[in-house]
Amino acid sequence: MAVNMIDAGLLAKMFIAGAKSLESKKEWINELNVFPVPDGDTGTNMTLTIMSAAKEVISLAQPDMMTLCKAISSGSLRGARGNSGVILSQLLRGFTKVVRDYDSVDVDIIAVAFDKAVETAYKAVMKPKEGTILTVAKGMAEKAAELAHNGESDLDSFIKQIIEHGDYVLSQTPEMLPVLKQAGVVDSGGQGLMEVMRGAYDAFLGKEVDFTMTTNVSHAAKANIDAQAEMDIKFGYCTEFIIMLTKNFNIKQEIDFKEYLESIGDSIVVVADDDIVKVHVHTNDPGLAIQRALKYGALSNMKIDNMRIEHQEKLNLMAEKEAAETAETPMEKKDFGFISVSVGDGISEIFTSLGVDFIIEGGQTMNPSTEDMLNAISKVNADNIFILPNNKNIVLAANQAASLTEDKKILVVPTKTIPQGITAAINFVPDLSAEENLTNMEGEAERVKTGEVTYAVRDTMIDDKEIHQGDYMGIGDKGILSVGTDLQSVVLEMVDAMVDEDSELISIYYGSDIDEEAAGVIKDKIEEKYPDCDIELQKGGQPIYYYIISVE
Amino acid sequence: MAKIAIVTDSNSGITQNEAKELGITVIPMPFNIGEETYYEDITLSQEQFYEYLKSDVDICTSQPAPADVMKVWDELLKEYDEIVHMPMSSGLSGSCQTAIMLSEDYDGKVCVVNNQRISVTLRQAIFDTMLLIDKGYSAKEIQKILEEDGLNASIYIMLDTLYYLKKGGRITPAAAALGTLLKLKPVLQIQGEKLDAFAKARTVSQAKSIMINAIKSDINTRFGGNPEDCCIFMAHTNSDDVINEFKQEILKEFPDREIIVDPLSLSVSCHIGPGALAVAIVKKLHV
Repeated sequence: MAVNMIDAGLLAKMFIAGAKSLESKKEWINELNVFPVPDGDTGTNMTLTIMSAAKEVISLAQPDMMTLCKAISSGSLRGARGNSGVILSQLLRGFTKVVRDYDSVDVDIIAVAFDKAVETAYKAVMKPKEGTILTVAKGMAEKAAELAHNGESDLDSFIKQIIEHGDYVLSQTPEMLPVLKQAGVVDSGGQGLMEVMRGAYDAFLGKEVDFTMTTNVSHAAKANIDAQAEMDIKFGYCTEFIIMLTKNFNIKQEIDFKEYLESIGDSIVVVADDDIVKVHVHTNDPGLAIQRALKYGALSNMKIDNMRIEHQEKLNLMAEKEAAETAETPMEKKDFGFISVSVGDGISEIFTSLGVDFIIEGGQTMNPSTEDMLNAISKVNADNIFILPNNKNIVLAANQAASLTEDKKILVVPTKTIPQGITAAINFVPDLSAEENLTNMEGEAERVKTGEVTYAVRDTMIDDKEIHQGDYMGIGDKGILSVGTDLQSVVLEMVDAMVDEDSELISIYYGSDIDEEAAGVIKDKIEEKYPDCDIELQKGGQPIYYYIISVE
Repeated sequence: MAKIAIVTDSNSGITQNEAKELGITVIPMPFNIGEETYYEDITLSQEQFYEYLKSDVDICTSQPAPADVMKVWDELLKEYDEIVHMPMSSGLSGSCQTAIMLSEDYDGKVCVVNNQRISVTLRQAIFDTMLLIDKGYSAKEIQKILEEDGLNASIYIMLDTLYYLKKGGRITPAAAALGTLLKLKPVLQIQGEKLDAFAKARTVSQAKSIMINAIKSDINTRFGGNPEDCCIFMAHTNSDDVINEFKQEILKEFPDREIIVDPLSLSVSCHIGPGALAVAIVKKLHV
C-alpha cells in the first residue's frame, strides 16, 4: 500500500538518517572543493551543522511535530558553520517553519515546505549564486511543486523523483559555474544536500538506521571539546596500586578481578608478574577496588587522582590565562567590543594587541559555528560588538549569530581575509559612532588585497592554470595568482600580481612551517623589488598557509 | 574705549615679521638644546631645529621666563590700557598657569586667556581677538568669549613615527594605547586639554582618510553641520611636499576653500618628530 503521510516519528528517523548519510560522505565531499587546498571543508562544515541538530533530535523521546521541528531548526542554526552549513541550516529552518504546524505531512505540505526552505535560504545569502547548493535545493522544490500539482500522492514515488531531479540539477552545476567545470567537480554543497536526501529516503523505505552517535568532534571549537571532555568523564577517580600477592592469583582470579573492576569502572589494566599485580582503573568508588584487591595481598604505591578536578584545574588554568590575556580590558561595560576569528599564535597576538577582546580560533581550516560566535558574544561585555570573521566562509555564520543576538548590537565587518581583519581593527576610531566605524572599517578593509600561499592536494585546472598535486599555489582574492614547484618564486609571482602603483604597504605573515630566516629572505627580495613600498614582516604562525601576504 | 594690546607666544605660528605687521607681540618659546638656549624664530629657525632633532642631541622645551613676560607687559602698558595675553594650551605647557599667576599683580589690566589652543587654532583665536577689539569689547569680555569658544576646535595629527612620542615620555597614555607589534601611523587629536591618541592607521592614505572623516564628523556633530561656518587649517612638521598633496585631497572634499598651511610650532614638533601631517577645524566665532 502506498504511504502518503509522514508523522513526527518517521520524520525524525529520516532526518537522523539524512545526517548520518551526509556524515559518511563528508571526506569525499571535502575533496570536491574547487581549489585543491589541503583544507577543503564543505563536507565537514555541513556535517557539523546537521549533526548539531541530529543530536538534539536524538535526545527527544517521543517528539511531536512542533518539538521535532524546533530541535531541527535551533540545533542546525546554532551549529551552522561555513557558508554551506549556514545555507543548510536555513533550508532546514524554512522547511520546519511549514511542517511544524501539522501532525503529519503529505505531498502537498512537503512541496510547500520545500518552497519555503528555498525561499528562506536564498534570503540568507547576499548575492545568491547559481550552480550551488541553492540551485540544487531550488530544483528539488520546483520538482516537488510540479509533482504535487500533478496529483502525486504516493510519497515513495514522490521522494524518489525529487532525488532523481536533484541529482540531475547537481550534475548540471558545472555548466552554470565555470570554475566547477574547469576543476572537473560538481558543487560540493549540492552534493552534501543530496546525501542528506538519500539518507532520508533510505529511512523512509525502512532501512536500518543507526542511532548511535559517533560524530568525530575533533573539528569542533576548543571550548566545545572541553565541555565534551567534562561530560565524558564517567568515572572520576584514576586509581592505581600494586598488589603484593599473599594469596593465590591465577588466571581464574585474574579474570574474576577484572570482571569486578569492569562492573565499577573502565580503563582497566591488570598486569600480573610473579608475586605482584599492577592495577589501574577509573572508577567512582576507589574504595571498592581497594577492598577487593586486599583479598589477594597487601597494597603499595597507591595513587588516586580526582580526574574531574584535574580537568577543572585545566579549565581554570585556561580561564586564568584568558583572563590574564585580556587583563587590560576593563570589566565594566564598554561601548565597543571586538571579536575576531584568528588562526595561528602570531596573528592572534596581533589582534589582541589591537584591542580585540575575544579571539575565536578558526579560519579556513576550521570554520567556527554560529554557536561559537554566540559564546564569544556572551563573553564580551560591550553594547556594540564588532565581529571580524576574516574568512569569506565565516561571514554568514557571523551574520546568523548577529541576528540571533538581542541584548547587544552586533556589527559584522565582512572581512574576508586575516589582513582585511587587521586593517579593519586598526582603522577603528573610538570617537565615532558604531555605524560610522562600520562604514570606514569596511571601506578600508576592501582596499586590502590578500594573497595566500599553500600547496595543491590534487591535479586540477583553474583559471587556465594547470596545477599538479604538491605544487605551491598563490591564491589571491579572485583566483589563483601563481603556481609552481619553487616556493620562493610562487610567493614573488603572487606579490607581483598584487602590487600596483598605488600600493604603499606590503605585509608578510609567515606560517608555522616557515622559519624566520626563510621569511627574512622573502622580505628582502620583496623590499628590493618594490622600493616605494613599506614592507612589514610578522610571524603569523598559521598552519597550512606558508605565507599570507597583503598589499594596501 | 580702552586701548588693548595682544600678546601670544610663538606656538601661534605667527612669526616675528607677521607680528610686526599685525601690531601684536609674539613671545618666543625657549628651547634648551645641549647646553644652549635658543628662541623660536629669533635664534632658532625651523631648519636648524630639525637638524638638531635628527642628531641625537637632547632638546628640551621650556616656558618663557616670567621676567621676560612681565617685561613685555610692562612695556606695553606704557602705551596700552589693557592686555589680552593668550599663551599655548594649558594642557600642553605650564606657561598659561604662570601667566595667570603673574597677571594677578596687574590689577585686571592683563587678561590671560586659557582657551586651550595651539598652532593654527591659536592663530585663529588671535585673529578673533583683533576682531573683538575692533568691535569694542573690553579685555575681560574678550577673555570670557574666547574661553567659552576655546573647545570649538580640533587638530588631528598623523605621526610618521612613534619614536619621538616615546622618547619624550611625556604623552604616555597616547603612546601606550598605540603599543602594538605592527608599524602604525597613529593619528592624534588635540582637543581641549589633551593631546591624545585618536585613531591608528597602517598607511598614510588610511591616516589621511581618517583625518578627513574626523573633520567631517566634527562639522556634522559638533559644529552645526555647515562647512561654511568652519575654518579648515593644515599644518605639518618638515614635510612640505606631502602636505601639499594632502591639501589637494582636502580641497577635493571641501572645494573652493582657502586653506592656510603652516609649519607646526616647534613645541609640538619636538614631541612628534618630522613627517607629521595635521588638519585642524575651528568653528567660526559669532559675536
